[in-house]
Amino acid sequence: MELNRKHSKRWFVRPDGAKKVTGQLKYLTDLTFPNMLYGRILRSGIPHAKIMSINTEKALRLCGVRAVLTYKDIPGLNGFGLIFPDQPVFCKDIVRFEGDAIAAVAADTDEIAAAAIKLIDVEYQPLTVMDSPEVALSNESISLHPSGNVLHRAEYKTIEDDEINQVFFSCHNVIEETYHTPRQMHAYMETEGGVVVPEKDGSITVYAATQHGFKDRMQLSRILNMDEKNIRVVSSPIGGSFGGKDELNVQPYASLLALTTNRPVKIHQKRNDSVIAGLKRHPMKITMKTGVDEKGKILAHVVRIVADTGAYATLGPAVLDFAVEHATGPYIIPNVNVEGVSVYTNNGISGEFRGFGGNQITFALESQLDRLAESLNISQYDIRLLNLRKTNDLGPLGQRIVPTNGAFDVLEQINHSSILNKPFSQTENRKLKGSGLAITMHGGGLGYGRPDPSGGRLALTKEGKIEIAFGFEEVGQGLIGSIEIMMIEELGCSKDDISIVIGDTGLVPPSGSSTASRSTNMAWQGIRTMKNPWLRELLSNASIVTEEKVENLKMGPGGIWSIDDDVTVPIITYKKLAQSLINLPTITSQYDFPTTPDPIVGGHYLYSFGAIAVEVEVDKLTGKVKVTDVEHTIAAGPVVNPMGFLGQIEGGGIMALGFTIMEDSLMDSGKYVTRNFDSYLIPTIKDIPSHTKVNAIETLVEGDHFGPRGVGEIGTVAVAPAIIAAIHDATGYWVNKLPISPEEILNALTKQNKGLFNQQSKELI
Amino acid sequence: MSIENLSSQTKNTTTILLNCFINDNEIVLEVPATYRLVDILRKKLDLTGTKISCEVGRCGACSVLMNGNLVNSCLLMAYQIQGSSINTIEYMSKESMNPIQQAFLEEGALQCGYCTPGMVMALKSLLSTNPSPSLEEIEIALSGNLCRCTGYNGIIRAVSRYIENSQSS
Ligand code: FES
Ligand code: FES
Repeated sequence: MELNRKHSKRWFVRPDGAKKVTGQLKYLTDLTFPNMLYGRILRSGIPHAKIMSINTEKALRLCGVRAVLTYKDIPGLNGFGLIFPDQPVFCKDIVRFEGDAIAAVAADTDEIAAAAIKLIDVEYQPLTVMDSPEVALSNESISLHPSGNVLHRAEYKTIEDDEINQVFFSCHNVIEETYHTPRQMHAYMETEGGVVVPEKDGSITVYAATQHGFKDRMQLSRILNMDEKNIRVVSSPIGGSFGGKDELNVQPYASLLALTTNRPVKIHQKRNDSVIAGLKRHPMKITMKTGVDEKGKILAHVVRIVADTGAYATLGPAVLDFAVEHATGPYIIPNVNVEGVSVYTNNGISGEFRGFGGNQITFALESQLDRLAESLNISQYDIRLLNLRKTNDLGPLGQRIVPTNGAFDVLEQINHSSILNKPFSQTENRKLKGSGLAITMHGGGLGYGRPDPSGGRLALTKEGKIEIAFGFEEVGQGLIGSIEIMMIEELGCSKDDISIVIGDTGLVPPSGSSTASRSTNMAWQGIRTMKNPWLRELLSNASIVTEEKVENLKMGPGGIWSIDDDVTVPIITYKKLAQSLINLPTITSQYDFPTTPDPIVGGHYLYSFGAIAVEVEVDKLTGKVKVTDVEHTIAAGPVVNPMGFLGQIEGGGIMALGFTIMEDSLMDSGKYVTRNFDSYLIPTIKDIPSHTKVNAIETLVEGDHFGPRGVGEIGTVAVAPAIIAAIHDATGYWVNKLPISPEEILNALTKQNKGLFNQQSKELI
Repeated sequence: MSIENLSSQTKNTTTILLNCFINDNEIVLEVPATYRLVDILRKKLDLTGTKISCEVGRCGACSVLMNGNLVNSCLLMAYQIQGSSINTIEYMSKESMNPIQQAFLEEGALQCGYCTPGMVMALKSLLSTNPSPSLEEIEIALSGNLCRCTGYNGIIRAVSRYIENSQSS
């Protein structure tokens, strides 16, 4: 089904839309409170150094400054991080990257706070900068952390190193290549920020964007040495995150300052601070050696991954595990040998980012398949089909997964894309045109062995609203709209009857993070589990109040209705019902994201599938690549919210286009070179293809009761290799390093000038 | 000197008595002459519909109209707006929702929505002088506005929708 307004039933205006288009919506960085102070954070600005002294006296003397804090002022743990709290809130004696925080200031105005930051004297003794994993792993390097510079190693092997070489000998063709991917920036439009308000009872309310309010609360409680129940985290709405706001950012600083001054403190980071302190996508160097028989059946696949995780761990280990898991993608390969390492360096921190390591590895894997296909003179489609997983095949780590035809479905459908079957026009002779496809398989949820719980609450409120509460956040993905649609369809009530409460630890049950494409599925599961028992309670209460038989009652718009068809009004409105009850029907539930029964850590159970076809135009004079047409086919179960689905895939696709052709957070000796949108370029409206089509395949294998999979990531994963394939189709040149460099293409075109014209079917246009 | 430094010269800064119209309201404020329009809107007047993102004139999140022309409020200082008339996103739906905003809603041309006010202002500026722009004209008009979420496809559909709607009415 093509997703668009015309073809989609349930094309509803999003509930949070009106406030967003009118500018009325208060993002958490828009909030102000009476008596509020402004906070700023001093960042080291130096990638690796010993701190000799920190002097805050001058800053403290500046008129209007209310507090200047350093490591000495932390009541609890001086560290944070979702898994390992290895990132200091304030550095004490060592600086490990340019964005390390040294001190924070609260002042009457933002301008005074900015001036005060400049008055803090820090004396550093610079240390050698380890600006790449290679340097950090060399013998002379010093350890950034007690465990050394290796953060994590991961592997998946069905055959040992020496044995797989035997298999390569028997292969008809073997391709070995090394791929490089960039340090992509999330580039959310709203930079990190918020306000922390000290309450009269000694508790605090933290209004700051995060993808996991409860994890923030837990971490803040450790830092502040404060009971979790005294910390309330309000975490939505969010002006974009894409994984980048899952770790704590300004929250510890604003909280410490607010507690010290006993006044609300607002911090809204400047883009420059956001760039140097914020997470990025892990740059990876991936070497793959893949061998096939003469028909194209893959016999052996060796993969080595080196990931630059930067100064602190964040989710580096899980990202690497994910890349290792997805190193074989949707293909069944008999002999697999994958090893990965993520390495601490003095570079900016890499962490969670939409696609979670899948994008990097899929670029390499799909490129390998295309090269092998070329070497055998078979099509992109044929080599994939030959190696594709079947419905009941095991998952990529040998674990049982929910049976699925997704891989086959998306490959079949994309193969019919008009993009791939277009005869290219011969008009402009400066441009070379080409097309290509790629597919992917992407796990949802956190994977086996990682607690992945969720919870929800369904209640009738005193005001007569049907309230659904989850701990998820609205990061822009349209979750509120999806919950509304599911509620209306499952319960039969109307939009006006519903109240949706999310993103506030004071009001909602813990639901886990809004990550890993899990929220839609988790909300769907929650509503389905709670619906029947809650409905029974509601109707039996209604039956008592109305003295109607319970079997004659049902929920409907505005209230409880008789099941009679010819009635036009409810028997009792929700409001009246609520007013007549002492105990309002309420149900809470706890459940987990579905996991594989096989104890393979990190292994996923539910996968979604994506296929992409693209058309590109390569400018022969500038080497520039323009993507001119894109088609996505996504198999992720039933589409709950077509408008949200479409937006996620289109937006994700363009974000991945940026990853492929333009985006790179350049670092030089551990310092960011590209520090704002004037040098870090993300796609503008001029960079997008003139046409984009999104298809959704909703069918699941019979017996699959797991419902809709999330689509937050799947539209981003296979874009790069599809573009690379299209460039190759246009020019005969294979790109191994992202983002694609026009100079490299130009060089290649010049070098192979003659050869280029000889490539079959690749005439100059 | 960076713009931020200019506005942070709290001491020894020449202040001016700024007199201008913001969303038809006359404003009189004593501010440093170099205080930025975006700060006047967001910090002094709590008009937070105007967003802030890059502060170097690149992203368009802070777009407003000054005497009917599209400007980046992060690049304009108090002395430069003396006597002018500024309209912000809040003005667009003063009476009822503007048809551009309506089209954004119907086509789902937003996700996080943080870029949306700036986009709407940029389109307002385009469409009031050119009611049925070509795709190329739309692209040029919006090329100063970044959106990280939508991939722009929805925004383009919203503009077509607006044009369709306005032609049929
Ligand atoms: S904040 Fe003004 S253009 Fe980006
Ligand atoms: S909708 Fe999020 S930046 Fe445009």
